[in-house]
Amino acid sequence: MTDVAQHEGTGISVRGLTKTFGTLRAVDDLTFDIRPGRVTGFLGPNGAGKTTTLRMLLGLVRPTAGEALIGGHRYADLPRPLNVVGSALEATGFHPGRSGRDHLRVLAATHGIPDSRVDQLLELVGIPAAARKRAGAYSMGMRQRLGLAAGLLGDPGVLLLDEPANGLDPEGIRWMRGFLRHLAAEEGRTIVVSSHLLAEVEQTVDDVIIIANGRLVRQGTIEELHGEQTVLVRTADAAALAAALERAGLTAQPSPEHGPGALQVEGADGDLARVGDVALAAGQPVHELRALRTDLERMFLELTESPEHRNRNLQETT
Amino acid sequence: MTGLIRSELRKAFTTRIGWGMPLAQFLLAALFVGIAGAFMLFVAVPGPTGGEGAPMGNSLEPTVLARTLYTGGMQVGYLLSLVLGILSMGSEYRHKTLTATFLSAPRRGRVIAAKVVALTIVVVVNGLAHLAGALVTGGALLLAADKAVFPEAGDLLGVLARMLLVFVLWGLMGLGLGVLIPNQVAALFVGVAFAFLIEPLLGVFIGMVDALADVARFFPSQASMAALSLYEGMDSATVEQAGGNPDQLTWWVAALVLLGYAAMMTVVGWVLTQRRDVG
Repeated sequence: MTDVAQHEGTGISVRGLTKTFGTLRAVDDLTFDIRPGRVTGFLGPNGAGKTTTLRMLLGLVRPTAGEALIGGHRYADLPRPLNVVGSALEATGFHPGRSGRDHLRVLAATHGIPDSRVDQLLELVGIPAAARKRAGAYSMGMRQRLGLAAGLLGDPGVLLLDEPANGLDPEGIRWMRGFLRHLAAEEGRTIVVSSHLLAEVEQTVDDVIIIANGRLVRQGTIEELHGEQTVLVRTADAAALAAALERAGLTAQPSPEHGPGALQVEGADGDLARVGDVALAAGQPVHELRALRTDLERMFLELTESPEHRNRNLQETT
Repeated sequence: MTGLIRSELRKAFTTRIGWGMPLAQFLLAALFVGIAGAFMLFVAVPGPTGGEGAPMGNSLEPTVLARTLYTGGMQVGYLLSLVLGILSMGSEYRHKTLTATFLSAPRRGRVIAAKVVALTIVVVVNGLAHLAGALVTGGALLLAADKAVFPEAGDLLGVLARMLLVFVLWGLMGLGLGVLIPNQVAALFVGVAFAFLIEPLLGVFIGMVDALADVARFFPSQASMAALSLYEGMDSATVEQAGGNPDQLTWWVAALVLLGYAAMMTVVGWVLTQRRDVG
């Protein structure tokens, strides 16, 4: 028996969400759902509108059109919001002269959360020693941890984290990943992690939402995004093996960047044995045979940098 | 709502300014009352006919003398209260803590209401420190000059209580100003420059034009002095000699005028806070 709190699933739905700042459509008719109890990566290049979307979801920024609901409610209508949604937003500040512990106590007071819970969280995120020091002296990593502690104050079922790995050292990033996995898997929370780097969250997320220039580009599970896996095979006579593979109903393309005699095989869905068997039957020696990992980061760049999604912030002014 | 007020009070008393400001109030009140008292009680002013002359305090009624002395630091007191009000909201913009504040309390009207209550408590605490400083030096000087230290206690207590009220109302003006000008440094500059220089000078200039002299009585600084009945019991010549307008508003009318300013600025702060995006 464990006494870990299981959170009943709370989903998020975003419908036609739009925000314009002057002539800039920061968020443009965005519609998506975030499924309860899963970790969702909210991805896009810098300036894509991720933070603005999260801020609209949290009632900090007023949408120009559309709505964003958490468990069917607007954030501002939640009677005790910290018990439903926790968040750690990038631009959240701390008064440099106030200690981390007092920062949390200020927020805790609004929900009648006791100091014991504050101390428990400082322990959990690993900064109990710094808790009584002025936050102005905190490193970036300590600020991220303090922000995370603030998000967890009310033991919420939904957690929104804006670029949580920013400014963390490799050890901190590893800690953050493990911590998120723990929160999601063992406690059943709905977690949304925004990032401009797919690789950063790839190992942590179940679902992915990709936006560029304020518009939805792609939405699905991480498996769907990976797509079909291709196989790399290297042999002496690439042309002969390619012909044999074609006869077996597979498509093979020369892939010189993987070395001489390399072929990329599609249609086998990552089944190495099937490709090896074809090679043996054709009498071709196999010098190398492995599944080729889809380079998600490259795909992410292709998705977000395709002509219609090219980053408006980088475009030359005409 | 009590949770929100407790949260605001924790904000106010968990930074250095939470304790530094009352200390400043105590010391500055002591200093200003000390200077004014030393001048009024021990420096002989030549009379209109010339000759030896006597300290100004000698010609004042004991009640008027004590009232004038104990409120001698009033200007710096309401100025610091204005600063406290500006910081209440300005610091949230400056240090970007407004995000965390609105995440824990998304109904922004309630946040402003909690700030009004908490600021009132904070300004009263600061005002009590101010009174302590004023009473210590003022009392010591009156004692040294062999004058009555606390004549007509009821009347004097009323004036001191009204000084606290004036401080609170200036604090609320600062709260609105802190929202109106989200750049805290700019808000402090504008607030202090206005209250310390522009408004009093404008009052003096307007006061010289007979047709407009009545308008200046409604200015915050002159209304503040009137709310304490500062010139009551002094003869017009003495008041004019001190650069004041002897034709003051009645204290409660003056207090209502200040309440009007405070309410107006609070409403401005409330409306802007409701509408503004926090990014």
